[in-house]
Formats: sequence, structure tokens, C-alpha cells
Amino acid sequence: MRKPNSRLVKSALYPRIFLCIGCAGLIVFLSSCSGGLPVQREFKMVEKDSLAVQYSLLFIIHGDGDYLYHDSSGNKYNADEETLAEAKKIAEENPRAEVFIFHQKPGSYFLFFFPLRDGEFYYYRNGQLIANESYWRDDEQSNLDNEVEFYHRFRANNQHEMASIFLYFGHEIPEFGGAGYDASYPDRTFTVHDLANGLKGFRSDSVRFDLLILSTCFGGTPYTIDMLGSYARTIIASPDNLHLSYFDLHLLEHLENSLPDGGIPSFAKRFARQSFDRLTRDIQTAVSVAVYDVDRVQEFLHSVHRFYSNTLTTFKGNTRISSAKIGHCDCAELPEYLLPTIYEGVDVFYRPAQFGRLKNKKSHSGWECWKNEDQNMQHSQTPEPVLK
Amino acid sequence: MKALIAFGTVFMIFVLAIPINADGKGELKKYFSKTASKVKTTESAVEKRKILNESFQNMNEALDKVQNSGLISKEDYFEIDRFKATLLEKQNELEGKNGYERVPDAQLNAFTNYVVQDMEQAVGTITISVLTLVLIIVLIILLL
Repeated sequence: MRKPNSRLVKSALYPRIFLCIGCAGLIVFLSSCSGGLPVQREFKMVEKDSLAVQYSLLFIIHGDGDYLYHDSSGNKYNADEETLAEAKKIAEENPRAEVFIFHQKPGSYFLFFFPLRDGEFYYYRNGQLIANESYWRDDEQSNLDNEVEFYHRFRANNQHEMASIFLYFGHEIPEFGGAGYDASYPDRTFTVHDLANGLKGFRSDSVRFDLLILSTCFGGTPYTIDMLGSYARTIIASPDNLHLSYFDLHLLEHLENSLPDGGIPSFAKRFARQSFDRLTRDIQTAVSVAVYDVDRVQEFLHSVHRFYSNTLTTFKGNTRISSAKIGHCDCAELPEYLLPTIYEGVDVFYRPAQFGRLKNKKSHSGWECWKNEDQNMQHSQTPEPVLK
Repeated sequence: MKALIAFGTVFMIFVLAIPINADGKGELKKYFSKTASKVKTTESAVEKRKILNESFQNMNEALDKVQNSGLISKEDYFEIDRFKATLLEKQNELEGKNGYERVPDAQLNAFTNYVVQDMEQAVGTITISVLTLVLIIVLIILLL
């Protein structure tokens, strides 16, 4: 039998190989660039005789940044991954809850060029995972549009009968500027205003969340509480730095025990106390956890609104002030804020840093303000039109 | 030819890996955590102080070099200044200078935890460019 000509075989084989590689490349390209095609999608049907949903929890976990921290034994953790695991545990251990979890992940690429989805959504009901889907986060401004869409697609119907809790985990949310919040997208902006827009989308029926837990540094400012207070009755936030191990979430694990009758204000205080106790046990830097009764703090917010807005306007408009020269301080250190109403409606758990200049600071008002570290701008301002 | 392709591939991986793995802040945090581990495994208080001091000095030296390199922006220069000021406060407290009480020997382990946590928070809030971060990390590695 005659041996086939190897050159002929090669000439027939090579185009096929190139064609296969081309097809594979095209499939990869299309699957990584198509906006509507899910990388992972998982749905389960809810059993008809499942328990009535009494609690609605919505987690947004920002992970597109530097969230590495070390414990006192030197073990390293990623704050967003730890929180995600805890949120899933909470979802599984609450048979009477629906739980939305949005994990905002860093941008990544397949083969260096093909972008992969940068968000992952989980929906649990009655302790079971019902949906798990990867999604694209907002392209430019972060208004949480895609998260809002998922929320309305899956939420249970009896929202008015439920205790609703919104939780946000991330770095300090900027009150102005906001570029660079997402490490993967340095030009994309995210501010308190954008988060408030997202909350507005979640609460399209104008019913406020019963509780909003803002697990970030410097969340307890007059502006942030004012903006977010339109969408929540009670807010838990840290006016000072908050260690990346965040607030303690164990109290959320069995809500039928810890929140049996929907008494949110007392639950919020227990949650804050427990977080404070855990943080003070492990952390040497300052620990501050404050509970804001949004309706009761309105008088103070109204009184200081003009001062605070002027400060923000000055910082926003003055390019000569470097961001490196803008710092935080307890509002009680500034005469304009030291009003009789400053402590009204705020419960503060505070322990100063165990070392450093402020180690003897006895208390915190629960409100954090801005200061220009070069000169005290707050004293030299004349009132101007407000931001709102 | 093959060697050239291999070199080109490795080079591209490194070039592309810098923006993808721009976890420079994580490296800075690891630096302080490693220092804390060394301090805690040492019995002598004198030795603990020495380790902490050297750690501050090395970091300060690296930051000085980056600031003097002429490669960084004015904004980054100010950010590094702020970071250096935070470091200096820690050093002053350790030594009992500039109005600080000297950290007692018995509290050196707690102090090193404080340094790790405070610097983790400080690193989290600085907004310096990737290039500057890479320069800092390279210099720290060279100085160690």
C-alpha cells in the first residue's frame, strides 16, 4: 500500500486546526463580551408549603479594592470574602427570611483581553439558595442599577409585612469626588449620593428600610446620615475608622430568636453593643459604633446642614486643597456643631485607640466632620447656598 | 527565535500582571504584619524596640527615595508625606518623644498590633498611583 504524502496530509490538516482554534477563540470572545449571557445561572423552585417570609435582608459587599487585613496572629483575610461567607451562613440559617447578596468583585480578564463579569448575585429564600447569577456591574456611574433590577425581579410580594434590613460593606464612601472607589475602574465614581440613588431604586414604593447597617469607615457624618436617612428608619454606622473585620453579624443568624417581634430599635442597640464588644476585644485602634434614630436626629441635621454643606462645597471647589490635607474629626470639637441637640437620637459605643494622640479621648458625639489639617476652614466660612 | 518569543511572552506577562495584580497596598500591609510577627516571637523588650524601629526607618527611607525620585506626581508626594507623618507618630510614641509617653515594655506586643491595624487603615485611605506603589515596594524589598 502506498504511504500517503505527508505534505498533502499537513496541507489538509492545518486549515482544520486553525479553523478549530478560530472557532474556540470566537466562542470565548462572545461569551466574555456578551452582556446578557450569564456565566453561571442557577435557579431552584421554592416549595409551595414553605414558611412565610418575615425578614428581608439585602447585602451589598464591595470587594473591588484593597480589603486585605491581618489578625493579631498574623493570619491574613480578605474582608469581602469573609463577609460573603458570613452572609451566606445568615441566609441559610434564617428559614423565615429572603436574603439578597450582591458581591461586587474586582474586574478580571480571561486571557488578558476578555473581560469577565464583575458581580455575583445570590438569592436565598427560606434558607435555600434559589438563584445564583454572575452579572455586570454599572459601567460608568455606580447607581446600583443592575442590583436594583435583580431585587425587583426576585423579591417576595409581602414586603409591607416584613422587617427589612439593608447592609453595606466597604471602604469609606466618598461624600464628594468618588473616583477610584473601584480599584479596577479608577475613572468610575461612587459616592454617598450614588448609594442613596440605589436605595431609592430598591425602595421604589417609598417605604423605608427598617434598619440600614453601614459597615464602612466614617459613615456617621451629618451628610451621610441625612442622605441615607431618607431610605431607613434606623441606621447603624461607625463615625470613626472601622476595622476591616467590620461589625459582628452573629445576631443576624437566627432572626426568629433575636428579632422575634420586629422591635428594630432595641435590636439595633444589641447589634451595636455586640459589634462594639467584639471589636474592642480584638482591635487596638479606635472603635465607634453608633445607632441613629433617623427621625430624632432631624433637628440636629437641620441645624448643621448649612455648615456641613459649605465645608463640602469648599473642598469640592478648591483644587488647591490636596486630599492629603483633608482630615476627619469629632464634630463636637467644632463650635458650630456643639449644639444641645447633638446627642439627641444617637446612641454611641466608643472606645479610643489604645495608643496615639487620642488615647485619652473619653467620648465621641457620634458625628464625624471634616477639617482642613492646614488651617481650620470650618471657622472661617461664611454661609453659602446649600448642597441639597 | 524561540528564545526571543519566550522572552517576549514573559515580558508581556509581567507588563500585564502589574495592572492586574496592582495589589501594592496589600504588600505594604504585609510589611507591617511581618514586623509584628517578628516582634511577638522575640522575648527581649530591647530587641522588640529595635525591630520596630528598624521597620519604621526602612519604610521611611524607601518613602524618601520615592519622593526624591522625580518620578511621582505632586499629589502622590503629599500622600506620601501624610503616610510618613503617621509613621513618625508611631516612632515618636515608641521612643517617648514629641509629647508622647514611651510605650511600656509590657505593652510592646499590643503596640505592634496597633501599628498593624492603624497602618492598614492608613494604607486603605491613601490614594497613590500604581507606579508610586510599585516603586515603594521595590525599594522596601531592596532595603530589607
